[in-house]
Amino acid sequence: MGQQVINGLFLGSIYALFALGYTLVFGVLDILNLAHAAVFMLASFVALALVGGAHLPILAALPLAAVVAGLIGLLLDRVAFRPLRARADSNISGLISSLALATVFEAVALQVWGPNVSRFPLGTVPEGRPIPLLGAEVSRLQLVTVGVAVLLFVSLTWLVRSTRLGRELRAVAESPRAARILGVDVDRAIAAAFFISSALGGAAGVLFGLAYNAIAPDMGRSVELKGLAVIILGGMGSMPGAVLAGFALGLFEVFVVATFGASWRDAVSFAALFLVLVLRPRGLLGAAALREA
Amino acid sequence: MWERLVDLWGTYESTLGYIGINGLLALSVYATLSCGQLALGNAGFAAIGAYAATLLTVKANLPFPAVLAAAALLPAAVAVPLGLPVLRLKGVFLAIATIGFGEVVRLGIVNWEYVNGAQGIVAIPRKSGVFTIWLFVAAALFLFGRLRGSKWGFALEAIREDEPAARTMGIPSGAYKLAMLALGAALAGLAGALEAHFTFMVAPNGFAFGRVVDMLVFAVVGGAQVFWGPALGAAFLTVLPELLRELAPLVGIEPGPLRLLVNGLVLLAVILFLPNGLASLPGRLRQRRLAREAA
Amino acid sequence: MRFSGRFALVVMSAAALAAGGRASAETVVKIGAALSMTGPAAVYGASQKAGIQAGVDEVNRSGMLKNVKLVAVFEDDGSTKEQGIAVFQKFINKDKVAAIIGPTLSNTATAADPLAQAAKVPVVAISNTAPKGITDIGDYIWRVALTEAQVITPALKRMHARLAFKKAAVLYGNDDAFTQAGYNVMKGALEGLGIPIVGTQTFAKPDRDYNAQLTALKALGPDILMVSALAENAAGIVAQARQLGWQVTIWGGNGFNSPAFIKNAGPASEGVYAGTAWYKPSAEPVNQAFLKVMAARGVDPDQFCAQAYTGVLAIAEAIKLSGMKGGRDDIRAGFLKVKNLPTPVGTFSFNKDRDGDHTPTLQQVKGGKFQIVP
Repeated sequence: MGQQVINGLFLGSIYALFALGYTLVFGVLDILNLAHAAVFMLASFVALALVGGAHLPILAALPLAAVVAGLIGLLLDRVAFRPLRARADSNISGLISSLALATVFEAVALQVWGPNVSRFPLGTVPEGRPIPLLGAEVSRLQLVTVGVAVLLFVSLTWLVRSTRLGRELRAVAESPRAARILGVDVDRAIAAAFFISSALGGAAGVLFGLAYNAIAPDMGRSVELKGLAVIILGGMGSMPGAVLAGFALGLFEVFVVATFGASWRDAVSFAALFLVLVLRPRGLLGAAALREA
Repeated sequence: MWERLVDLWGTYESTLGYIGINGLLALSVYATLSCGQLALGNAGFAAIGAYAATLLTVKANLPFPAVLAAAALLPAAVAVPLGLPVLRLKGVFLAIATIGFGEVVRLGIVNWEYVNGAQGIVAIPRKSGVFTIWLFVAAALFLFGRLRGSKWGFALEAIREDEPAARTMGIPSGAYKLAMLALGAALAGLAGALEAHFTFMVAPNGFAFGRVVDMLVFAVVGGAQVFWGPALGAAFLTVLPELLRELAPLVGIEPGPLRLLVNGLVLLAVILFLPNGLASLPGRLRQRRLAREAA
Repeated sequence: MRFSGRFALVVMSAAALAAGGRASAETVVKIGAALSMTGPAAVYGASQKAGIQAGVDEVNRSGMLKNVKLVAVFEDDGSTKEQGIAVFQKFINKDKVAAIIGPTLSNTATAADPLAQAAKVPVVAISNTAPKGITDIGDYIWRVALTEAQVITPALKRMHARLAFKKAAVLYGNDDAFTQAGYNVMKGALEGLGIPIVGTQTFAKPDRDYNAQLTALKALGPDILMVSALAENAAGIVAQARQLGWQVTIWGGNGFNSPAFIKNAGPASEGVYAGTAWYKPSAEPVNQAFLKVMAARGVDPDQFCAQAYTGVLAIAEAIKLSGMKGGRDDIRAGFLKVKNLPTPVGTFSFNKDRDGDHTPTLQQVKGGKFQIVP
């Protein structure tokens, strides 16, 4: 039982980290960034290249890969979202252009690393005995993953609540026009949001790649829809919601698998997503007003 | 000479068939786009149609026209109770809810032992050929063409432009949206059935999220402002990989990644520079020529 | 101008005559090889390609088919049904091959083989080990690979005496015809030995996290875990099981028989059992010759390589038994007559169900390599 809780928290922390980035962009811009999963995947490959090719230790490669992911996020904003900001249907066209870039990213990964699964070299994660906790075995990697997720969430909350950038982001989320009038450099704030969002997604990708030691150009697929379910369940635009829902989904999935069998795992998640949207679209912690299209 | 033609047909029959199937799928997404709704559950509707048709053929041995009728009607019937709660949602929320629906359908099939779960059903007799498929595409295009200038068509356009205003004018937007959702579902179901009887098999992984994304891309690249745009987009994007396959060795990129790269770049170019799709290209070129002549 | 034109014409005709002259003494028999070069089965496909090419080259070099030359046409079936069907159609209609060898996965075969059967093109299955749904498609489908039933059941019986399992757990992939069939065989074998199955869990090919399933099974306290999976999932499953601190005996199906499994699972693969159709250290001259041929190509062969090579030998033998005729029906007729053919996997015959028939072996991972269990 304790072991399943650990399994659930571990899986949940990856979902939470991924969803944090997703929901940040949605909260600020009302846009679904469908390239988030591709950035997740690319960051994992970047970490692989740093560890396997440049022989960096994983502790250095992880933050570096996250930073690279953030830079890709800047590119994403500049190429796919900024040119469309003036348009009336900007969130739908933004969705589509992010999709376009996601396809390009996947093509790049396919060409450079091939379609088959790549792995970190043996010994990337320092082998160690699992640590007994709550009657379960926790590996160092699992502990670090959960720790990183919590740390990043706390940092992000601090950033949004207490820094100037955070205030600017909240202003832009309320009304870009008003924010501009008040002197906020809206484009810069949005770019910052993309950087942070993609860095978070990238960190999730590296941790996912380490956790299962399987990196492939299509690895984002399993997480992209789950991420969607998490941000809906947690409330679009709510960061604590994303984290809570991420952990909740991880635990939920583990218990569904243990009780009903693996085939039901995804079905239950999407059924929950669907019900939430129909019955309580604002999710657990989302804003009361439904955002207009 | 005759043998050459037969050979060519053999090689390209699959592509030609898929132009039609993808055309129907793109039109199914267009049905709801035409009234401004981004409904992305069509992979689920296609799955319902495909499986219903397969079971009726393989288990009940019904004649093909009856099978196709069922494949169109059943998803449409499902669309109604789905649409009632879901069409209240706006924009991206509608998209996500319908994506969720599509996934639930797919996962339902994966868990259903009667249809062999994730492994799907194989050895389906081939009953739809290129002509049958294209016949249905032509019929769908005809239907949408008739819709365009009619009262129905104007209502859809009004809803797309400004739904609250349309309602103020007395247009029952809810009913229209529901009808288009059902129409889209029928087209998707039909496409699914035709595909199953064209490729000899049906499996749930053919109806995953990526499938409906493809449909959306066909519609957007072709142009969702005119009824024939999505079909054009489908044809263009179905043929493109075949051409690229020849090109790949020359450029030094593998065919798989090249196809994805070009798809992504085409979509990006369209959404940034040609938002009304390829269908709007002649209009734009004409405008530019007129502007140049006037200068 | 006219002089150089005529000169060119003369030169070209001479060349044509020479080429034509050579060609008229030689018939080319095309074999379509549908292999998984991408997707979850890619590790097997790469191995099979090496085996097939080696087989084709050796047959041609040995001159056993006199003036018939074998040519292998390779296509990627993508480890999927859809691509497998497309590849088969290309082989049958465009390349007009005399026979098809492959596809790699039973899953692909269930969808693609019916096309070959309908078109009356013989297919040699070199790695489809699902007992049902392959050769029973029709009389043009033949198999040299031993089925899971032929391999797992006797091996388990042999080890049961030695290791005395009391309780078993099973984990299998439910989205693939091979892993599903493997599960059915494992279930049957365990029941046949009177070993109760305390827990069963499933996964799907794209899954990477098996912790939930493994934890659930571990809690039931079995002393053997049987896993029916392809190499990619197998590596993950075994690695995560050991990470959870679970030291249970693990027994894998045919999907484990690739060195890629050992490489990807790392030290976690130590001690894992798998039944195999190929007795690598066999001193039989055919096997030794095969090992030498592969070594000369810089390839360390695995079971899939050996079975692929055997498939080519079977086709060659069929052509020979048909009087050096390489048509589709000639090859099929030849298969009916193949008896006691010496191959790397043993003395080979097709049984009445068109399946292979020879003795399987058991192996275990020791010191990072598969070792035969005596």
